[in-house]
Amino acid sequence: MRAVGAALRGAAAEAWANRQAFWLQVTVMVVNDVAWIVFWALFFRRVGSLRGWDLERVLLLWAVLTTVAGLALGFLANARRIAQYARDGSLDAVLALPVSPLPYLLVRRLDTTNLGDLAFGLVLFAVGGRPTPQRVLLFAAGVACGTLLLTGFLVLVESLAFFTRRSEAGELAFHAVLLLASYPIDVFAGATKLALYTVVPAAFVAAVPARLVDQFDLRTAALLLAASVGFAAAGWATFTGGLRRYTAGAAWTRP
Amino acid sequence: MTWPWVSAALGGAVRRTAADPARLLVPVGFYVLVVAVLGSLWQAAAGQNGGTLAGYTAAALVWYIAGSEAATVALDLRMIERVGDDIASGAVVVELLRPVSVLGMRVATELGRSLPVLGMCLAAGTLLGLASTGSVPNLASAALAVPALLLAIACNILAQHAFAAASFWLRDARSAWFLYQKLVFLLGGMLIPIEVFPPWLQAAAKALPFVAMSYVPARLLAGFFEPWLLALQLGWLVVLGVTAAAAFAAGERRVQAVGG
Repeated sequence: MRAVGAALRGAAAEAWANRQAFWLQVTVMVVNDVAWIVFWALFFRRVGSLRGWDLERVLLLWAVLTTVAGLALGFLANARRIAQYARDGSLDAVLALPVSPLPYLLVRRLDTTNLGDLAFGLVLFAVGGRPTPQRVLLFAAGVACGTLLLTGFLVLVESLAFFTRRSEAGELAFHAVLLLASYPIDVFAGATKLALYTVVPAAFVAAVPARLVDQFDLRTAALLLAASVGFAAAGWATFTGGLRRYTAGAAWTRP
Repeated sequence: MTWPWVSAALGGAVRRTAADPARLLVPVGFYVLVVAVLGSLWQAAAGQNGGTLAGYTAAALVWYIAGSEAATVALDLRMIERVGDDIASGAVVVELLRPVSVLGMRVATELGRSLPVLGMCLAAGTLLGLASTGSVPNLASAALAVPALLLAIACNILAQHAFAAASFWLRDARSAWFLYQKLVFLLGGMLIPIEVFPPWLQAAAKALPFVAMSYVPARLLAGFFEPWLLALQLGWLVVLGVTAAAAFAAGERRVQAVGG
């Protein structure tokens, strides 16, 4: 754990080294998130409410989603790059170290842009999420589960590249899970809705945690926890199994 | 002869993109997802409002999204970042050695890259639209949507190059792609028909070039027979082409003055 902590501190120092670029990237992501809120404001201004969803609920959904994305894609940025490393054969530098490869790899790079998501999500919850001590606690727990699940899912789909040598499936799954997580879940029906709770677990990234903040229910909370732990374990197992098939690229680069 | 290099660049890019079908999986798969998601959202919204929303029926909204997304997903969303990197790193200097226009070559190549993706998206969008609504709302306007899609892509490529040309001066215009993308998403009508906007925002959107990049083909595919929209696109194509050419010409002179 000490090595992982040191790697995280190193990544943070690296990102902070160029202050101007750091603040520019954070600001750009905040502006990006604001544009989505403008979209939803325009949508609900015309539509009113839709299948139980109104602007306030969507703001809470976005507060959870952007905070989760900020943590999973900002602090654990390499979760999105495992396929690239597996394909290029550039994991040699990590495997040579006396540390567990996955945790070290995940924290080794910090994506500054997504830290803008984190800042935006927290501010959005503070402003539009009606924070009370109970809701703050549920928000924090939901975000923790969502982050664990999203990271596990990304590691899982990216690690498939160890077996297929292609990164397209991982890239598509990444876009799919974030896209589907950003819409009110009740817009979907039938098999699509089922898929959002299983194959592409987008519902558990933001919609379910957001619903728990509004209406806590022990059964749903247990389901969220089980899904998060399940995807994290599946991600870990796929990465570990994939490493056995990994062929070194003899390129001593630092991921 | 001035033009053989254009067809060579365009044809070469088409062949390279089409040669690796697996690479098409990401944009086309993403397109199918977005059309399915946004189509469901707008259909539900129209259904709740008595079947129409801002003059669009539920079916028209599905076709609108199929058109607006095809026009944008066919392009590399991070083109500004890529072009900006080439300029800032100095890689563009090598292109200046060719006896052809740097901008012309790049635009032809990007257009070539986008065509196979556009073809696949259009095919997938037609299938999704038919499966969801049963028929094309208006065949005549749908026929106009095809040239409108090509013009939309050409306008978008030129505008992205005009934006990216800022790298000749700023050295780091990479983040601009994020902001540009959002302008197309909202003011270009990619996510939302501009008729849904409040009147003042509608007027602003109609005065900006982003409508030529997404809204026009989408509106035509949604069944509104408005041929003058193609003239609007042609007008913006000229304006954006002149702007991008002027920006690149000024930038290239600067690179030469610095010495590459």
